[in-house]
This record gives sequence, structure tokens and C-alpha cells, in this order.
Amino acid sequence: MGLESLAEQAQILLRSRLCNPNFIFSIFSNSPDSNYSKLKYMISSSITEACNNSVLLLGPRGCGKVAVLELVLEDLLKEYPDMISVIKLNGLLHSDHNCALKEISRQLCLEHQLLFSKMASFDDNAQFMVSMLRECGLAHKTILFILDEFDLFAQGKQLLLYSLLDAMQSVTSQAVVVGISCRLDADQLLEKRVRSRFSHRKLLFLPPSREDLQRLLEHILLLPMNSSFPHEYVAAFNDKLLKIFADDKFKETVDTLSYCDSTVNHLLRFLFSAVSRMDLKSGLLSLENFKAALSTIQRQPKLEALKDCSILELYILVCMKRLEAKEQELRNFNSIMKEYKSIHDTFPSSDYYARNVCLRAFEHLLQRELISFEDNRGHGQSTEFRPVKLLISWPELYQGLKSYHSCPLILHKIMDREG
Amino acid sequence: MGKEQSPQVNRRTTRSSSSTTPNSKATGEVSKIISSTKSLTVNDLVLSDESVNLEELINYFPHRRMQILELIKLLGPLNSPMIPLFVYGGASTGKTSTVLEIFKHLSRPFIYSSCVTCYNPRILFESILNQLLLHRKNESNGYSSAKRCEKPSDFVNLLRDALSTLIDSLKGDVGKSNSKKSASHVNGRMIYLIIDNLEHVREWDKSSNMLPFLFNLYDILKIPEVGLIFISKTSLDTYHSDTGYVEPFPVYFPDYTEGDLRQILLKNQSNPKLYSSFLDAVLGPFCRITRRVDDVTAAISPLYKKYCEPLDDTGVIPNKDTKSELYRYINPYISQSLKETFHVPSQPTLEASASKDKTKRKGITKLGVRESLDKIDFHMSTCAKYLLISAFLASKNPATLDASLFDSTGGAGNQKRKRKSSGKSMEQKESKEQELLVKGPGTFPLERLLAIFQCITSVAEYSPDDEDPQIDGQGADGWDSGLMSDVLLQLSSLCSSNFITKGGSCPLEGAVRYRSAVSEDMALKVARSLKFPLSKYLYRT
Repeated sequence: MGLESLAEQAQILLRSRLCNPNFIFSIFSNSPDSNYSKLKYMISSSITEACNNSVLLLGPRGCGKVAVLELVLEDLLKEYPDMISVIKLNGLLHSDHNCALKEISRQLCLEHQLLFSKMASFDDNAQFMVSMLRECGLAHKTILFILDEFDLFAQGKQLLLYSLLDAMQSVTSQAVVVGISCRLDADQLLEKRVRSRFSHRKLLFLPPSREDLQRLLEHILLLPMNSSFPHEYVAAFNDKLLKIFADDKFKETVDTLSYCDSTVNHLLRFLFSAVSRMDLKSGLLSLENFKAALSTIQRQPKLEALKDCSILELYILVCMKRLEAKEQELRNFNSIMKEYKSIHDTFPSSDYYARNVCLRAFEHLLQRELISFEDNRGHGQSTEFRPVKLLISWPELYQGLKSYHSCPLILHKIMDREG
Repeated sequence: MGKEQSPQVNRRTTRSSSSTTPNSKATGEVSKIISSTKSLTVNDLVLSDESVNLEELINYFPHRRMQILELIKLLGPLNSPMIPLFVYGGASTGKTSTVLEIFKHLSRPFIYSSCVTCYNPRILFESILNQLLLHRKNESNGYSSAKRCEKPSDFVNLLRDALSTLIDSLKGDVGKSNSKKSASHVNGRMIYLIIDNLEHVREWDKSSNMLPFLFNLYDILKIPEVGLIFISKTSLDTYHSDTGYVEPFPVYFPDYTEGDLRQILLKNQSNPKLYSSFLDAVLGPFCRITRRVDDVTAAISPLYKKYCEPLDDTGVIPNKDTKSELYRYINPYISQSLKETFHVPSQPTLEASASKDKTKRKGITKLGVRESLDKIDFHMSTCAKYLLISAFLASKNPATLDASLFDSTGGAGNQKRKRKSSGKSMEQKESKEQELLVKGPGTFPLERLLAIFQCITSVAEYSPDDEDPQIDGQGADGWDSGLMSDVLLQLSSLCSSNFITKGGSCPLEGAVRYRSAVSEDMALKVARSLKFPLSKYLYRT
């Protein structure tokens, strides 16, 4: 009985680790040439030297840009209390400059115990920001602007970026702008007047190497020795895990995982699935858990959708494919029906249905997104006439038909001939 | 269409749907017992009148054991954080009902919003906030939301506040219930946000911003006590975004197989033996067309009535002979109904209002129902009918033939055309005809429509003198050129009700082009009601 609740506790611990990126990336914080150290040095030097600075953190999604920055901030706030105030913006929320300035003033007010007015105009907020920058500069306080999804701020007139960077040009101000983006060309998106005010420091975040991945796995999954868990349980749990890590089959699993996507986020999702599959009776993770997790995370949605199709829907798909192979310019429901009829004429079968039944199946296919309309323009036109395109490739369709358990032989024959 | 209405899932009740307040699509709360004046508590975020145990839950959804167990595993033990989940699968595979019932089973607090009822960002945001703030729209607050918020930035701030107060109160509750009696039946201090029908967000105005925002919401909030669950009919790869998004964890609900369908349909049947022999006969052919529960149930329920007709007593357990007898009896009906599946029966309504006309009309053209009803089941002015016919003609016929079709002698063009057709031109025409069928109705400028309109109305006016006996003067009664003045008005109302669609302007001419959106059957019906010989004017091979 005790074991089961222990296992549950362990599961909760592991799950909260997996959901907390700050914990995951803390592993990289002690090596000297990591992004963590570089970023920390850069920001802390501009705090101590009281200068303006700007930097871009670039890299694919799920490589820990935000998490590393948060770790750095956490440390800096401890090191230099009362010398930093942090303003966080997100391009998804504040790409509109009006909204962004409002949010900046709101956070500034919150930070400095000032009264924030919702009714303040854009101009008021802009002036407020500039004067706050000056005041903070006089008080030797650095304002850190964190712009997540930086590329979205570069849309439109880039008024926010301009006013922010322009305000930083004065000697009195003291601010650091950190842009975070998954677009590697984020700095190319900037206008000339903005780019000239931006220092071109960039930090590149890459997916972890194989060795790092191994370290990361141990960092995440091993239970801590000095915790509330009984020693024997922790020892048994960790022993089993290390044995699994050494297993060739496990290595293979991790390799196939990182083959398609080697970012940390992908790994975390995989581990999350494995951990939630943990057997509570034994209280230990097993190799089967990891294998099952791999199969749940590697989905082939088009093949799944194909398996869900009815026979009639398969007929329509094959007709579409044939039309595509014939390079017929216009493909819509009517031309598909013509093809369907010709197939039926050459290979008579019981699967010949009335037009409205086929139309319904056609609409089902649209819903499944195996086919889609070619354009969004012809809203007024009825479904039968709008041109459609196939969203599934030939090999996928071929494979899907092969694995469909009661697929009519005719369809196989047609597909073989087309191939 | 996508709503599950099959017998096994009709218990799908969200708090919203079981609520009494009419205007509370999203803000409704658990029970009707709570009067609208009573303030809501955290308990109302849990959907549990009676708790359901796991075995019941699994039995309740046939062939969803795998999915249920996986979801429960992913939700994890009490108070364990969770990465966002993405539940997907075809229509009527029990996604929403399964998820909701699981929460009933776990009795954890959750919030449910569907992107169908919340059809724009503002309504979605306010619905989520209303539920979190335990606010209910009622008369005293003028059916207004708790907070007004339109922008995602405001929403995140408000959401963060609301969530943290709620989580605090949940933590407090847990502490209290340990010391005192368990007053609350809320389990844990996680709050789950369920966003249903996510695929609709793609059609919203600012979907390019909205979707990544929703997918990234977990990372933006950074509150580990929040669980996000998205439910969608389409898989993750259909959600495109320029710079990607944080992918949620996928959970797949496959369509039911024929065997599964059989079990589902057999549930709650008074005479399972009889029904099973009925399904033996019927289910196979239907499954070749569709395996969607809602479609199949709708299609076979009238058949079952037919099936039972020869029996005196529906409680009888069929033996081999009766089975084969019944099979022979039902077989012709099956093939009949396979042809007619999914047709929308149109009820003749006398008080067909304009809006009803519209929806019905749309349904008819869309589903292409081929019913040979003699009458059209809505009212339309004579002028509009003529306009409709002329639009149809203008779309169907090539413009070059107008002169020969509508010359002063009316129908004479018909014979002329027939005379001309030689072997080669026949071939040409055939290919043209095919092209027309494939490309759909052609477009035409306003001038051509008006010209045809004038031609056919003048024919109708002078019809008594004409040699054509089919046309009598009645259709043209009180019909004079004075009515021409409001033709444009009629045209615009036809456009707005989607009988005629306004296309883009022609790049050469610059004028707006129109296109008729009615099927040939419908046009023939309208023509019949006017006693207008439409087929004479149709260009055919």
C-alpha cells in the first residue's frame, strides 16, 4: 500500500519537473561557455556599467530560450536587488503598439507602486515610459524589456521598437532590451531606423547534442537522494532507470525520437507520456513505458484519417488521385463523379452510389481534411463546383489502402496501375 | 451535424446545456437547483451529481477503454501538473462526452468553452472568465459578463488574476475540509480549461494570431496548477502557423469500426435479439458509405420501423425462418434508402419566413436533393421568379447564343438550333456541355441578365397571341413594364439570399459579374410555377 502512494508521489514530482522548464534548463547553468553564462555576463555588465544594451535570443521553439533567460533573471534579481525592474511583453499579445505601451506602463506602475490609469492615451503612456526611463537611469536602476516572439513586434510600422530604442539613445537612460524569437532572421525584419539603433548581439540556442541529451535524461528522471522518499525506494527507482538508460533498445528509442525532432520540448513530451504510463504497482519506470510513449508521440494523422474513411470515401480519394495523375486542370466534385462513373463502368461493383450520397461522403472528406478547397474565395458557389485538391501524398494513400483491412481489390488494382 | 445525438452519447451535458438560464450558453452552472440569485461557489465547477466509478465510465462508452485509460493516465494523480493535451478524432467519436464524463468521474474542477458557441475571441474570453469568476449572467446584472475583454493581452492579465484567486480558494478549501467535514466535493487544486471545437478558430478573423496564442497559453500563463485540454475534429497538422507553436500532446479518438457501431446501436434496445438480426441485414451496406454514429442512426431508424412492420409483436425473439423472411422483406427497402440516405425532408410550411427560405434553400442546393416536388415550398414574387429564371439561363447558356434563343419569335430559336447541329458541331457542343458541368454555372454581367429578363417577360406578356399553348396569360397578370423599376431591388435581395451570387469584377470590363446558384431542378420548379417553358430556352446538345 505504501508503495503505491510513494509511486504516486514520485510521479507527481517527475510531472512537475517536466512542466517546469526552469528546472530542466538549470542543468546548463554551470558550464562556463553556455548561453546561460554569456547572457548573464552581458546583462550583469550592462547593469554594473549602467549602459544601454540589446540582445536577441534566437533558436527553434522548445530549446529553452525563455527558460534560460528566466534563470538568469532569477539570479540577477538576487544579486542586484532593487536595481532591476523587468517588463515582459509577448508578441502574441502585444504586437499592437498601443496595447504594448499600455502594458509597459501597467507593469511599470505595478513595479513602482504607482497608480495606473486605464484611460491613459497612447501619447500619455509613451511620455510616461520615457520619463520613467530617465528617472530610473538617474536612480541607477536598469529596466529590462523582454520581448518574447520578437518577430511579431517587427510587423507593421514597428512603432514600439522604434520608440523604445529611440528612448534608449539618451545618455541618462539605462535599459536592456532582450528579444526572443524562433525566426533566425529576426534582425533582418527590422526597419532601417530601428536596426541602426539596435545592437546586433545574438545568442543562438540549438537543440542539445546526444551527450547533453543523456545528461538531461538523468537530470530529469532520477529521484533525489536527499528527499522525503525512503532511501530504498529511491535506490531501486534510480537503479532501474540507469539500467534502462544503458539498454541498447532504449538508446534506439531516443535516437528515433530525436531523429525527427531533437528539441528539448519534444523530449519532454515524450518523457511526460512515459512517466504518466508508469506502473503504480511496482512503482518503477520500465522500458515498455518508453516504447509506448514513443508510439503515442509519433503520430501519422493522415494515415489515421485514412483508416477512418469508409469504402465510398476511399473510392473518391482514388478518383481524385487518378484525376491528378491525368493532370486534369480542374478537379471538383463533378469531375470526380465522372471519374467515379468511369471506374464503375470498367469495373462494375456494388459500390456505386447515388450522387447525393457521394456528395455527403465528399463533405466528410472535406471535414477530415483529406481534401480541401483550392481557394477560399468562392464562398457563394456551391460545393459541387469549387475546385478541390488532395492533401494526402501518393505514398501515403498507397500505404493507407494497403493497411485498410477491407479495402476493395479494385482500388488496389487502380493504385498499382497508377504507380 | 457534428453534435453527438446517438443513443449512447445523448447524456452529453455540459453545465451549460443543463442550465436553465436562457442566455447563459457559456456561463451556466451545474444544476437547476441553484437559483439564479444564489451566488455560485467553487463546487459548481465540478460536474457531479453522483460520482461515476471507472468501470461504469468504461462500460458507458463502448470501445473507448483505451482512450479513457490513456486520458486518465495523462491527467495524472491529484495535484499533478500537466502539459496541454490535444484530443482529436473525427466527428461523433465521443471526444467531448468522454472528456466531460472523465472529469465527472474524477470530480475535479474544470471549465468548458466551445468555439462553436463562443464564435469570436471576445465571447470565448468572457465565457472563460465568467466561469472562473463564478459569475452568471442574469437579470440583475443585465446579462452582462463579469469582465469586458477583447484583446488577448487583457485576457491574460484577467485570467491570471482569476486563476490565482480561484486556486488560492481551492487550496484553502483543501485545508478546511481536512479539519472539518468535507463540505466541498472538489478534488484537488488543479483547474482544467477545456476548449472544444478548436478547428473553428481557424476561420476566425485573426486566426493567425489566435491559434498560436491559445496553443502557447500554457507557457504564457506559467501557472502549473492549470491544465489545458483542446478538443478538435482535425489533427494537429492542419493547424498551420508561420512560426509554429508549442505542440500539445496528442490523444487520438479513432472512428468506430463496424463491430463497435453494432454494439453502440444495440445499447438500450428493447429487443436486442430482433435488433441484432436487423443489424445483420442493414449495417454492412451502410458501413460502406459512412461509419459515423449520427449518420448511421439517422439512416437506419426508419428502416427498423419498416423491419418490424410484418411482426405483430415486437417483443418476439426471431428464429431462423422469420429472420430470412424479414431479410427478404427489408432488402428492397435497404437499397432504396441507400440511394436516399441523408436527404433532408422538406416540410411544407405555409408561414415560410424569409430567413427560413434562405436556410432551406441553402440546404437544398447544397445537398442536391433531387425531389420531384411539383411546388416550391416558399413564396417569391413573380418578378423575382422571372429574375431567377433569367439568371439561371444566363448562367447556363453561352452568351453567343442569346440572340438566336431570344429573337422576336420567341421559341423559334429552338428549331433553328436543331437544324444547325451537324456531326462535328455536336461533338464540340458535347465537350462544351461537359465543361459546363465541370466548371459550374458561368458568370454574366448585369446587362445580359436584364436583357434576358426583358425578353422572357415580354414573351410571357404576349403569350396568349403566341403559338405556344403552354403559356397562359395568368402568370403575366398585372405584369407591366412599370414593375421593371424595382428589378434591381429584387436582384439585390436575391443576391443577399444567395440565389444569385455576386462574383468578382471582370478584369477587362470592370463591372460586377453575377452567377446563378440554383440547381436545374429548382429552376425547373420555379419555371413550372410560372408556367414558363424553361426547357425550350435551355441550350443543350
